[in-house]
Amino acid sequence: MSAVCAALAADPVLASHYADFSAKTEAALDPALVVLVRQAVAAVHGMGAAPDESALDEGTRTCLAYARRMPFEHTAITDEEAAAVVAHLGEAGFVAFSVLAALADAECRAEQVGLAELAGAG
Amino acid sequence: MSTTPRVSSGVAGEPAHFGSVLAHQPAIAESFFALYGRFWGSDVLSARIKEVARMRNARVTECGFCRNVRFDKALGQGLGEEVVDDITDGYETSAKLTDAEKAALKFTDALIHDPELLTGDARAALQRHLTPAQIAELGLGVTLFLALAKALITMGLEPEVMDRIVLPTPAVLEAAE
Repeated sequence: MSAVCAALAADPVLASHYADFSAKTEAALDPALVVLVRQAVAAVHGMGAAPDESALDEGTRTCLAYARRMPFEHTAITDEEAAAVVAHLGEAGFVAFSVLAALADAECRAEQVGLAELAGAG
Repeated sequence: MSTTPRVSSGVAGEPAHFGSVLAHQPAIAESFFALYGRFWGSDVLSARIKEVARMRNARVTECGFCRNVRFDKALGQGLGEEVVDDITDGYETSAKLTDAEKAALKFTDALIHDPELLTGDARAALQRHLTPAQIAELGLGVTLFLALAKALITMGLEPEVMDRIVLPTPAVLEAAE
């Protein structure tokens, strides 16, 4: 469970909405890619090991390289980098991927700041 | 940072903007707007404090779209431009922001920039001025503001130029409840 969902334990309706948004975002992508993106972003934050990319195809590695830019370099991502992800995932996939990578980054940050504990749910 | 959309509009006849691009993923869009409406519709944490945090996120993430949008509910709670102007580095000394708003801003900075900012006195101030339920809502809000600003920027949806606009505060969708 993410730190955000945990923090919202006292408001089950809002927690349910957040969980649904996260689930719908993840459901739009290959489940294996979702896990890899979350691992890659968490590793940038020092929250776990980076995924093993040795057996991954080039398109997936391109996506992970892009996702790793989201935490601290989002304004430096180039049109070419984005185009490479669009070429691999398609436009609809790129939209879901962008939301997922950004949400993964924000959720890591929420955990690092101790949101659940501050909200009395830690 | 690109101001050229990296993905096309999903709505025929509309330019690429956050809503029209999200239309490529209608299930995500529907869920997001239901969540965002519920979040802004809740009065556990005032719309004014939510907007203060959103403005801070807009400035730190360099989201020009977010920076130029105002939600009317916070305006109605007294968040005029003279207050928004103080939501910049050095806000700690502002005479226009309340102590609760300054505590919320420190939390916002910690979440979007550096968690070490929320130690000691800053953490105590946050817990003194906001209840756990209010902190939960603030945390949800900053998480969404940050994620959506970054998604918007990386999809190339930043406007080249944009005037300040006041929009109706997102509301709960009847069909979603």
